[in-house]
Amino acid sequence: MTSLANVVGSATRRYPPRIWMLILLTALVAVSVVSLLIGAGEVGPQRVLGLLQGSQDSDAHFVVWELRAPRTLIGIVVGIALGVAGALLQAVSRNPLAEPGLLGVSAGAAFAVALALVLGASAATLRISVAQLGALMGCVCVLSVARFRGVGNDPVRLVLAGAAFSGLLGSLSSLILLYDQRAADEIRFWVIGSLAGRRLDDLLAVLPSLLVAGIVIVVMARPLAALALGERAASGLGHRPGLIRWMAVGCVALLVGAATAIAGPIAFVGLVVPFVARAFAGPDIRRTLWFCLPIGPLIVLTADIISRVVVAPSELPLGVLTALCGAPVLIAVVRAKRLPML
Amino acid sequence: MANNPSLGGVATPLNEAAQEDGVPPPNGYWLVAWPLGGYSVLLEKRAVVVNAGLLIALLVACLLYLSLGSVPLAPSAVIAAVIGKGDMMTAFMVQELRLPRLVAACFTGAAFALAGVLMQTLARNRLATPGIIGIDNGATAFAVASIVGMGVSIAPPAMALAGATTAAVLTFGLAAGSGTQGYRFIVAGIGVGAVFGAITQLLLARVAIDTANAAYPWTVGSLNARPGGAVQLLGIGLALGLIAALALARSLTLLRFKDATASGLGVSVKARRLQVLMLSVILTAFAVAVAGPVGMVALIGPEIARSLSSARHVPIVASLLSGALVMLLADLAGRTLFAPIEIPVGIVTAVVGGPWLLWILMRPQRSHS
Repeated sequence: MTSLANVVGSATRRYPPRIWMLILLTALVAVSVVSLLIGAGEVGPQRVLGLLQGSQDSDAHFVVWELRAPRTLIGIVVGIALGVAGALLQAVSRNPLAEPGLLGVSAGAAFAVALALVLGASAATLRISVAQLGALMGCVCVLSVARFRGVGNDPVRLVLAGAAFSGLLGSLSSLILLYDQRAADEIRFWVIGSLAGRRLDDLLAVLPSLLVAGIVIVVMARPLAALALGERAASGLGHRPGLIRWMAVGCVALLVGAATAIAGPIAFVGLVVPFVARAFAGPDIRRTLWFCLPIGPLIVLTADIISRVVVAPSELPLGVLTALCGAPVLIAVVRAKRLPML
Repeated sequence: MANNPSLGGVATPLNEAAQEDGVPPPNGYWLVAWPLGGYSVLLEKRAVVVNAGLLIALLVACLLYLSLGSVPLAPSAVIAAVIGKGDMMTAFMVQELRLPRLVAACFTGAAFALAGVLMQTLARNRLATPGIIGIDNGATAFAVASIVGMGVSIAPPAMALAGATTAAVLTFGLAAGSGTQGYRFIVAGIGVGAVFGAITQLLLARVAIDTANAAYPWTVGSLNARPGGAVQLLGIGLALGLIAALALARSLTLLRFKDATASGLGVSVKARRLQVLMLSVILTAFAVAVAGPVGMVALIGPEIARSLSSARHVPIVASLLSGALVMLLADLAGRTLFAPIEIPVGIVTAVVGGPWLLWILMRPQRSHS
């Protein structure tokens, strides 16, 4: 198990990255189709296939196009956002364990939303900017802790600080929810972290900020790769490490805030996706970011499909499944003989 | 170390019992001689004072705990009710409603803190409390399984014990390569805890919403839902655990040093480690069976005890007392602060303990005891 990364790495080197990219994209398409076919309710694969062949089945039509299709789209977007955010955060903090959920960024977003709801906001549209603001605060808090007295030099201590921080914010959120019944009713199902019952409007509302983040990341990719060589090398190549770092933090906040606003706090995706992507792409951050694009949705959608099937007819929160598959990765990274410094 | 002349211990008047034997007790200690059989024990003066102070504080907190609530009572009426006098209504309220909860709070707080100080000493890391390395979550997951009735009708304490043991074996097994020291061990524990937390959610998602709602306050740590018999079991476990911990006290003091030093001083390190770990796991499991995961008490209690005590010994009794004190005050705050709404004690301790944990993490590292 110590050599999990090595095993994955040697398996991935059998084909060039281009081929892998194709394979992953094919897998993503397949998983998306499966996500349309399978659900917790009565509309099974046969009825959906019949619908696609042109039968008149209004129930199936509603379930597939009004429920499952938006859900699949949202899963893809959330997967991309969380995976890319994880890769960015890990590159910036040079820490393979840095994960938005573990470090308290998602908890910050959730806390901000809970606070806003208690202070009287009720519109769902407000949620996104509030969540992004909270994610930014969480990011800044954790990274300033990391720069404080050498905590950041030890990847593992940073995780501990993040766990403490998200534990604190989590209990503050539940305190607020206990105090305010109305807010509790509004956000009870959101705070668990799930793709179920989210509307396409939410997705449209976050698209602009995701677009902004995407453009910034494209601009920033080269400086980020230079930063991986060390601060001095990066400044020698004409980049400004401080600026790059803050831009990356801003992007992480935009991405995680958007994902959290739609789907609630989902942990461990930002850890697993870059971990797998690095196995495909090697140390180059630019290639890793490309590989995060198919891998993130692949993992989130697979987890979502499983969450519909395991406890049918009810559903499992997505965060439960991502934790179940993410925690072993966390342990594997920690167990590695030498913690890889990014 | 104790006889360091620079501490000015030259002119100390000698204790009578010691004069008979001709050996003066070390500076800062009392020698208490047993009249029969020639046994004697050294008591550290500071420890005695600290423990007495904590005990008084605990008694005052108990009185407060019994008096405050939805119906405030006068302290004199409470004392009368406890010894069985006073009017029926007050006696009922104190003896049937508040006293059992008080006992549960004291026992769980003491057990969590004792388990915490044992685990911290074992791992030589003040952050390695059972809650942080996933043992609380393991116990919770298994106990929730028995409570929500997954076809398993075993009592919660037994299930909690099974869960805590599983989590401990997983954490220590997975961290085996990197040793029990350092932060990697703790992060492995965080991973194990996350898995068990997810399992708890999974179990709750499978049952009817009413059952899940009933189990919810218990999964964040609350004294509301106390399974019958669990408190008694915890009381027995706590008494035996305290005796065992005191019997292990000498070894615990030496376990704080390196393995080589400890075994050189006559401690069989491996055996003692295993005993301390088992003790900590059992105490945590029984406490979780009563109140759910209130793991922060295991961090705060020993921390208070250490700041009050000298660094010569592992403050076992002081941790136990301050743990009970913290739990009492936290539950009191949860019951009274936002009066009609009751805040589960687990949330109160998490809100207080989270910043504390961060502060410990960011503080310059003086020592790892």
